[in-house]
Amino acid sequence: MKRKRGLPTYPGSRNLHIKLLLLIILEAMSIVAQATFLARAIVLLFDRIPVTEVFIEMLFFFIAFLIRYGLNQWQIHLAENYAEKIGTMLRSELMDAYFTNRSQTLQNEGTGRLVTLAIEGIDQLKAYLEIISIRMLKTFIIPITVLVVVYLQDFISALILVITVPIVIIFMILLGVTAEKQADKQYETYRLLSNHFVDSLKGLETLSYLGKSKEHKASIEEVSESYRKATMKTLTFAFLSSFALDFFTSLSIAFVAVGLGLRLIDGVILLLPALTILILAPEYYSPIKDVGKDFHATLDGQLAMQDIDQFIEESKTLTLNHTENLTWKSESELKLTHVDYQINDAILLKDININLPNKGLIGLIGASGAGKSTLINVLAGRTEITEGTIKVNQEEFKTLHDEAWFENIAYIPQHPYIFPASIYDNIRFYQPTASKASVDKIIKQIGLNEFVNELPNGMDELIGESGRSLSGGQEQRVAMARALLSDKPIILLDEPTAHLDIETEYDIKQVVLELFKDKLMIIATHRLHWMQDLEYIYLLDEGQIIAQGKETDLSETSEAYQLLNNRKRRDLT
Amino acid sequence: MNKWIKPYLKKYKGQISLTILFGFLGVTSGAMLLFVSGYLISKSSLQPVNILIVYVPIVAVRSFSIAQAVFPYLEKLLGHNIVLRILGNLRERLYGILESQTFHLKKKYQTGDILGVLSDDIERLQDFYIKTAFPSIIGLVIYTIFIAVIGAFDLVFMVLMMLVLGVILFLMPYLSYKKNKINFTNLKQKRNRMYRHLTDGVYGQVDWLASGRKDEVINEFARENKELVTVEKKIQKWRHFKEGILRLSASVAIILMLLWSNIQTEEGSITATLIAAFVLMTFTITDALIPVSEAIEEVPTYVDSLNRMDEIEGTSKVLDEERISFTGKLENAEVVLRDVSYSYDTTESKAVNHLNLTVSPGEKLAILGKSGTGKSTLLKLIAGVIKPDTGEVKINGVKMKSDYLAEAVAVLNQKPHLFNTSILNNIKIARPEATEQEVNKVIEQAQLNELIGSLPEGLNTHVEEMGQRFSGGERQRIAFARILLQDTPIIIMDEPTIGLDPITEKELLETLILGAKEKTVIWVTHHLAGAEMMDQVMFLEDGKTKMYGRHDDLLKTNAYYKKLYEMDDGVFLKQKTL
Repeated sequence: MKRKRGLPTYPGSRNLHIKLLLLIILEAMSIVAQATFLARAIVLLFDRIPVTEVFIEMLFFFIAFLIRYGLNQWQIHLAENYAEKIGTMLRSELMDAYFTNRSQTLQNEGTGRLVTLAIEGIDQLKAYLEIISIRMLKTFIIPITVLVVVYLQDFISALILVITVPIVIIFMILLGVTAEKQADKQYETYRLLSNHFVDSLKGLETLSYLGKSKEHKASIEEVSESYRKATMKTLTFAFLSSFALDFFTSLSIAFVAVGLGLRLIDGVILLLPALTILILAPEYYSPIKDVGKDFHATLDGQLAMQDIDQFIEESKTLTLNHTENLTWKSESELKLTHVDYQINDAILLKDININLPNKGLIGLIGASGAGKSTLINVLAGRTEITEGTIKVNQEEFKTLHDEAWFENIAYIPQHPYIFPASIYDNIRFYQPTASKASVDKIIKQIGLNEFVNELPNGMDELIGESGRSLSGGQEQRVAMARALLSDKPIILLDEPTAHLDIETEYDIKQVVLELFKDKLMIIATHRLHWMQDLEYIYLLDEGQIIAQGKETDLSETSEAYQLLNNRKRRDLT
Repeated sequence: MNKWIKPYLKKYKGQISLTILFGFLGVTSGAMLLFVSGYLISKSSLQPVNILIVYVPIVAVRSFSIAQAVFPYLEKLLGHNIVLRILGNLRERLYGILESQTFHLKKKYQTGDILGVLSDDIERLQDFYIKTAFPSIIGLVIYTIFIAVIGAFDLVFMVLMMLVLGVILFLMPYLSYKKNKINFTNLKQKRNRMYRHLTDGVYGQVDWLASGRKDEVINEFARENKELVTVEKKIQKWRHFKEGILRLSASVAIILMLLWSNIQTEEGSITATLIAAFVLMTFTITDALIPVSEAIEEVPTYVDSLNRMDEIEGTSKVLDEERISFTGKLENAEVVLRDVSYSYDTTESKAVNHLNLTVSPGEKLAILGKSGTGKSTLLKLIAGVIKPDTGEVKINGVKMKSDYLAEAVAVLNQKPHLFNTSILNNIKIARPEATEQEVNKVIEQAQLNELIGSLPEGLNTHVEEMGQRFSGGERQRIAFARILLQDTPIIIMDEPTIGLDPITEKELLETLILGAKEKTVIWVTHHLAGAEMMDQVMFLEDGKTKMYGRHDDLLKTNAYYKKLYEMDDGVFLKQKTL
């Protein structure tokens, strides 16, 4: 768990810190003024001066008090504005990063996490920025100001205040270390116990089928009890540090008060300074006490800041270009030469050499994990290759992450993304200006007309997350309709039918073969029935191409290909 | 709101009262520390001849200073202890509710996500106690006692103080609640919208890029951010205003206290030494009351959680009957469906439509069909977890009930849940009293020996630690061992091989069929790989049988079946027919 500490350094932070510094100095002065005037008022009244003559002190106390909190709110306001500005800036930078980034990173990080980072992460960062600068500056300025004022009035009280701080810090550190050790020791149990409940809920169906769901309730009870005990053990230590803080600060206020009392009796000091010191003493500790507050918010903010900064930093080098020469023309071909791709230490593709013709149906086959999807990702421009070259129109490239290339391709994964919009809008996604008539034609071609006609709103029916949900086959058809309408020359299919029932799979296959026959279609699959229709096959295993050729050749020459097919032969002979 | 909070406040009222007492004593000690200190130095400044006069205040100051630290510590510990106990209770209750309706949960509750959300909801309620309930009640107690003490001196001043402090304790929290209820709802809607749109953007990233429309997402997101910020600014503005009013009231209270204690001194009902004491104490009191506003402000954030939990409870009928045992014989189980129909909603068409089916003992039946043709419903009917609208489902002549699941029918899901514990525990969950021999036998049947042998900790390996390394096929094998241990005569398999590559699929299927050799197997599948291993194949359409027969017969007599099988098989048949 890495986190950034210290004052944040985003654009404009210097400006903010100077302003805050000034305001906090003023606040410190008004704290002193407030204490002084109140002490004067009390002392005058104590000396039985008529209340009418004390009004001026009371008024000044009142004004100083209000100024103090006014300044306080002003600081917060400045910090909030700053946080808002930075939040907006980072959100827009993140968005740029998400859409110019080679999306392999998107897949590695998990799309859900990136969404969370841009919304919740930024919110956490903002919450952190709102408090951190004020808090850190206050911890220095206010205690020092108070201390100077106290010192000017009474040396011994100042001494007590000074001494307690290191004691408090030492104890906090000692207790903090103990608590952390305790927490570490408990961590494993703690984590297991706290996950147990969610685990049980998620496994409820399984438990019910096993006929064990009723009995399991007792286990929930038992685990909750162990969880409570483990947590309390940790908390007993964790709360000790705030206890120590309270204990030492309040004890030192007591010492100050008693010391002042005794010196008053001796006549060494007068009531006015004594009372001023007594009123000021809690102010001395208050910023120190605040430091430990909102521990989790602070931690979350620091972690978010680390993540966001790192993500933006990494994507700064990446840009999204528009390279004219990547446009797919009637004579264009694509050639990968000695292509390697690795992430961290994992080699996902190794020495890939393939030639893709201008049109035709090309297959990438192999078991799961063989590298089919990764190769499709390279062709979809989602990945920058580590080694080798990609040649299009006689020019060599390192990546196909380019606007011009995107214009060529339609990418249809196993579960195509259905936008929460109407069927109409979903199908004309690549061609927002397409008319209803042209979409209607596509719907018929793709075989969705029966389904669409039954819908109350026809092609205006909402689908996707908040609308009508589609079956796997219908999702595929919508995605294919999208590709067909846009008339893109290259269609990338990543395992489009494996999850469908055999009848739907059959129907979809017919549609694909019929409608996309004039395009370059690359299909990654382990479903063997496609093989007959493929013009050329690349057989992948562990990131390498282990065989290639036409189906008829492969079935005779390639042992690996035969092995993949073997299951069928054995069964029926 | 009441259902998920009130009973627990009642159940733990003793401990809760104690927590509040500690909280109160903590604040009181702080107030008394300043009170006595103020008195002490005022008295000392009169330079009494006998130092013993200030001896009691000196001791008191020290004791209060210690008490000021000790009580909050105790309050926090006890408070968390109660909350953790309540959390345990809530978990049990939520589990009970969900358990009673496992098979009837609405679609949206069936995903793990929502269950996770519910679990989070319960945890959120911890905050209700710690951050809202306890501080508010403590504030109220302090207010009452402080006012009562003043009332003992002066009723008029009591009313005045009641009003001024009432602004801090009642008026501002109330206004804050009102104001923020709208703002928070607004904020959440805006945030949810951002989530939705950004998710669209990121999931459909390639589509956005390929359509050249990425700027739409980016601009939309920027616009939504701006809207969000506007609401946030509103909330901040209110907070600044609220803080201003609270501090103004506090300063008025302090000055009033100063004036009043002066009057009391003049009237002689208190000595001048108490002026400082009363005034300083007022600081602590107002400081203790000011956070109540923030505590109450939080209330709207719990409402959602409570609503969600109410909703799920609303649909439940908790049946806590004893489980009854299967009354028929368990050997050679025959499954008979006679004229069975079922529809989820009276308005919808029948998911299963007057279906007749007999599965003989030891028979292996494959059920196929497009999505939505009633395959899953049929399985649920056979498992007895839903009751047919017409007709009946009988196992060896006994009407099937979900109670018989453990003994008569085992179910292997698409994605069986592996619990966050060792492999051994995951298997033994089916029959905790099983012997080592029995466990070893099912492990062998599920062909897990090799996998388990390769793990350094063998059967004691934690599933979660290995979570990423266990492949789909391996997870299915563990789940299969589990249901074999359950030792039921009938096994239902609901597409256990979906998403596996052909080699893994083939191997798993062989294991499953071989392992369940002596059992009656009903297997729902989406394609025909492995159909040749089955005795019978059935195609469903609109809740009715579309095709039924032995694999070999169908292949010979049914052209459609042959076409499908050919396609699934891909290469071989075509070559053979050529």
